[in-house]
Amino acid sequence: QAEDDSSSTSDKKVTLLPCKNPPNRERVQLWLEARKQYESLQKGR
Amino acid sequence: MTTLTRQDLNFGQVVADILCEFLEVAIHLILYVREVYPSGIFQKRKKYNVPVQMSCHPELNQYIQDTLHCIKPLIEKNDAEKVVVVIMDKEHHPVERFVFEISQPTLLSISSDTLLSHVEQLLRAFILKISVCDAVLNNNPPGCSFTVLVHTREAATRNMEKVQVIKDFPWIVADEQEVHMQEPRLIPLKTMTSDIVKMQLYVEERAQKT
Repeated sequence: QAEDDSSSTSDKKVTLLPCKNPPNRERVQLWLEARKQYESLQKGR
Repeated sequence: MTTLTRQDLNFGQVVADILCEFLEVAIHLILYVREVYPSGIFQKRKKYNVPVQMSCHPELNQYIQDTLHCIKPLIEKNDAEKVVVVIMDKEHHPVERFVFEISQPTLLSISSDTLLSHVEQLLRAFILKISVCDAVLNNNPPGCSFTVLVHTREAATRNMEKVQVIKDFPWIVADEQEVHMQEPRLIPLKTMTSDIVKMQLYVEERAQKT
């Protein structure tokens, strides 16, 4: 009932989340592997 | 002891800075402890005088920063009731929700000499609790992702709008399935009461994760 009353004054409770998603695990895993390869190449020089 | 209102010294801004800095550390640590991302992207750092794990993945770090940048105006105006880090399974159903319940006093009674070190001490205890929370939680299924929810009031979202446009980081109203979990197990982690903020952290864990 409290939420119904407050909605009339346009101050009802809302839950928000970002439209964008964070990078997924697979993408991050690929980045990590690429970074390891780069670092081992740097060490080999 | 001095009594100040929220307008004095732009206190809301100070509280928002402190809380957003803390939430950034907490989010990184939750993602590490709950194995949402490979452990190789995390590096040990020292925050609040304790070791923590922080991601070094640029895109993920930017995402967390942008998220908190948008939440900050709400915290500043005392309009963020809860900030929730939700871990979701492959089907985008929540398996765990780390709920930070935040409230700020309208009148501030400040004994300033020990204030910041006292708050830091309290926040440190939260970090330590998060770092060992895997002991009381069940393993998550593989392939989990995360999102951050903020519980606020419709009128307060105007405080976010300008930041959303600047950062090109729009927010939407969450669906019921993103907010609610069926028969969650409740695990209280930590509560703090200080002169500038009260906060409690608990985890809601889905009974059947697989």
